[in-house]
Amino acid sequence: MISVRGLGMRLESGGRPVDVLTEVSLEVPARQFVAVAGPSGSGKSTLLGLIAGLDRPTTGRIVVNGVELTGLGEDALARFRRDAIGYVFQSFHLIPTLTALENVAVPLELAADPDALERAQALLKEVGLEERAHHYPVQLSGGEQQRVAVARAVARRPTLLLADEPTGNLDSATGKQIIDLLVALNENLGSTLVLVTHDPALAALADRVITLRDGRIVSDETSNGGAA
Amino acid sequence: MAARPSLDFVLKLAWRETRGAGRHFAYLIACITLGVGALVAVGSFASSLERTVGRSARALMGGDVEIRSSQPLSPAGQTVVAEMARGGVEVLPVQEMVAMSAAGGRSQIVELKTVAPGYPLYGELVTEPAAPLGTLVGKGRALVHPSLLQKLGAAVGDRLKIGEADFVISGVIRQEPDRSVGVFSLGPRVMIAPEDLPGTKLVRPGSRVRHRVLFRVPAGTTADAFKDALAARLPDTAARITTYAQAQPGVRRFWDQLTVYLGLTGLVALMVGGIGVATSVRAFVRGKLDTIAVLKCLGAGWRQVLAAYLLQTVLLGLGGSLLGAALGTAAELALVPALSPLLPLPLEASVSLRSVLAGLAMGTGLTLLFALWPLLDIRRVPPALILRRDVEARLPGRRPWLAGIPIAAGLAALAFWQAGSFKVGGFFVGGLAGALFLLGLTARLVIAGAKRLPRLRSLAWRQAVANVHRPGSHAGVVLVSLGLAVMLIVAVALLEQSLRAELADRGPERAPAFFFIDIQSDQAAPFTRLVTDKARHAPELTPVVRSRLATINGASVADDPRQKREEVWYLSREYVLTWGAEPPAHNPVIAGRWWTAEEARAEPLISVEEEIAKNLGVAIGGTLGFDIQGVTVQARVVNLRRVDWQSFNTNFFVIFSQGALDGAPSTWIATARVAPSDEGAVQSAVTAAFPNVTAIPVREVLERIAAVLDQIALAIRLLAGVSIATGLIVTAGALGVSRHQRLYQSVILKTLGATRGVVARVFAIEYALLGVAAGLCGGILAAALAWGVGRWALDIGWAGSPLTVASGVAGATLLALGVGFLGTFRLLGKKPLGVLRGE
Repeated sequence: MISVRGLGMRLESGGRPVDVLTEVSLEVPARQFVAVAGPSGSGKSTLLGLIAGLDRPTTGRIVVNGVELTGLGEDALARFRRDAIGYVFQSFHLIPTLTALENVAVPLELAADPDALERAQALLKEVGLEERAHHYPVQLSGGEQQRVAVARAVARRPTLLLADEPTGNLDSATGKQIIDLLVALNENLGSTLVLVTHDPALAALADRVITLRDGRIVSDETSNGGAA
Repeated sequence: MAARPSLDFVLKLAWRETRGAGRHFAYLIACITLGVGALVAVGSFASSLERTVGRSARALMGGDVEIRSSQPLSPAGQTVVAEMARGGVEVLPVQEMVAMSAAGGRSQIVELKTVAPGYPLYGELVTEPAAPLGTLVGKGRALVHPSLLQKLGAAVGDRLKIGEADFVISGVIRQEPDRSVGVFSLGPRVMIAPEDLPGTKLVRPGSRVRHRVLFRVPAGTTADAFKDALAARLPDTAARITTYAQAQPGVRRFWDQLTVYLGLTGLVALMVGGIGVATSVRAFVRGKLDTIAVLKCLGAGWRQVLAAYLLQTVLLGLGGSLLGAALGTAAELALVPALSPLLPLPLEASVSLRSVLAGLAMGTGLTLLFALWPLLDIRRVPPALILRRDVEARLPGRRPWLAGIPIAAGLAALAFWQAGSFKVGGFFVGGLAGALFLLGLTARLVIAGAKRLPRLRSLAWRQAVANVHRPGSHAGVVLVSLGLAVMLIVAVALLEQSLRAELADRGPERAPAFFFIDIQSDQAAPFTRLVTDKARHAPELTPVVRSRLATINGASVADDPRQKREEVWYLSREYVLTWGAEPPAHNPVIAGRWWTAEEARAEPLISVEEEIAKNLGVAIGGTLGFDIQGVTVQARVVNLRRVDWQSFNTNFFVIFSQGALDGAPSTWIATARVAPSDEGAVQSAVTAAFPNVTAIPVREVLERIAAVLDQIALAIRLLAGVSIATGLIVTAGALGVSRHQRLYQSVILKTLGATRGVVARVFAIEYALLGVAAGLCGGILAAALAWGVGRWALDIGWAGSPLTVASGVAGATLLALGVGFLGTFRLLGKKPLGVLRGE
């Protein structure tokens, strides 16, 4: 499913090069639920972003679904994300000028789905927000916004679901609901889920926990008897 | 899976992304509305003016098209005229000749003109008594110019003998619309009916009759098209065919200059609007970076996002253009009636469909081109932007410079189209490109200079300077766009000054009040004394000898193979010659040199006007022979002169060396400047002392021409005002777009304990710095552009005032300050916490 080899990422910060990721290698089989844990600044989000093709690594290669991401152009990456990836952000990143319904419909419309709005409506119902379909992001609570974001992420039934601290901006009760939703949807879809979190309780829900520190993998534990 | 960008998605995104962008859209629409509004107003105003000025120019000639010949038209020619006269074309034959008139024992040369019913085709014949023309001429009645009554001591109702026929003076001519004026007029006007002409027995073989046929063409036909059709069919090669525009080269020239200037003004208004669009779209894209990154994360390609925003912007441009067209039309309809009482000629308001459509196309096209460049930033927005939330996102890479080529080419094409001339369009495009480069360079220098400035003591100054050079600063954009706007506006103002100076140079105050003709050689000195005494100005006297062209380079003109209409005219016309030891003032010698006294003694030499030399096919060293009452005088061409035919000086095609025409029958002509109050006294004194001298009052005619020129001058001022006002508003908006970025800074400064006064000072200093730099740069560029356009495209002298450039600099600074203040005033009151929490 995911194959990461010798991944390194160097960024400029304050004029000095900083290695955000160093020599990261990992294999994630299909349908696995992986948590990526570690303190802030350990490179979790960067790793997730690179797996989604949001940026290019300085070194190493990433293969997702048999597709070598490092070899793709910008447009090919965009199509790859549209067809294979669902992404949930810590700060939701809904498009402020679109309603909840329209936000969910964007990936479907990008794929020229003729029933985009109907399917988006069904997805909103699945996350329990059918009543809020025509509200704009600013009119929704944080938890509601994140549920819209989750619905948007799963709209195209992606094979890979990536969630970057999805509960980081939410209170714990709401966060719990989001995680439950994500896990349930992931099971329904039969997709692979990679969850970035610094919350050990959340990480404990996963089949496997990978811990990063200073851009390196410091531990990789499989729990719950899940497939490794 | 649809791999191609989905049009459906693009349309939806374009539509949905209109939400919450009200301010941006309002501004963008305002820029385009004002630009297109100015363009349409200018265009409609120009066509109204063209019609009005055209009508006056038509009245000056008496028709749209004229056939003029020294012989009656051939029967075949008359058939052609009769055939061309169908379909709403009005035809009016007019004959003019010099005749001797007599009354009460005195005689006087007059210029006789036959007028048929229907005269005049344009303008108005004012007579006293005011009565239909048919009751004033015909059946032995004649209308006369008042000066004839004075000369002959006659009155209305008296008998007047013309040639061999007797007439009764039925009234006087107060205003004759198509009276041509010049030093070569021979006497006062007398009008009779065509059917009374044969009785005078004046028309005989060899008599000099000017046969004119005037045409009025119906709406929908242009004078030029009609002239071309007529010229193609008329067999009479000796007949000269002109349009009203050609007949008045002075008016024509100013009209051409006005057209160029109008094209330029419209272009400036539009380009300034375009700058507004570009800055607004840039700010819009900056505000949408997150959304664009999210869309890219969701799998949208940059082309789709770009297409969506471009579509949206172009539709806004179209909407703005529609509004602008409505605004421009309304302005034209409101402005013209309000201005009409002030204008010397009635101006009629009308909507020009062509201007409206051109405005729509221009506005939309320009929006597309000006929006495309900033929208190309979309391509550079990295999807990973949402992972690293930099406060001031910096986009990696550069915009594809190659994409600039079709954009620049498109803008150049629009500029050429609007300017209506390759020369002006070229200047404009070249100037714009050069200015863009120089302004870009200046912006870099200013930013680099700000960075290198030593640490300033005052916090406000330090902050302001830091704002100029901090990463992501708007200084570059503001400098370039404000500088460009200042350049365009100041250039328009400078050109307006030069054009007006040019017009003032030709005003009636420079024109003489009288032409005197037929002064005999022995009368020249006493005449000069008399006029100087009465008018308190010395008259200018010039000797003239009337002749016909006999030979060119030794070959007889009679055998000349040239048969084309224009060529025959040059060969067969009357040449009025003069002589002189010095070149006339304002007649630069452009080839060869003026003769010395020795050279003049050796042989007859001539100076020839450049155009006629070209038309006759004679160069320096060639010879021309002139038949002066049966004697041919051969002379060698030694220099060519350029003549400014618009000046009210007496101008000659051919000037002989002094002494060469001694013994030829010559008379003198004179021009005299006389105060209006002295005109009557001067005329009476001259006619009393020299009964053979004819005084031709020209003020009336010149004032009519001057009125047309005044109108053009006023139009130029108005249009400059309109485009400057538009430019100011759009520039103000362009400056205002960076206010969004100021919000954070003001909030953070306040969080750190800065008072509102300090924050306001920071922005004021920053804006003032930008204003001064942009104003200086734009002002200098404006002077260069205006000088170039004036010199090479308008062919006018430089009369731009340094004060105008200085006020451009001051204006830019004040504008920047004012806009900066207004833009940040509301920010000052914002509570920091809300702003900080919101993002």
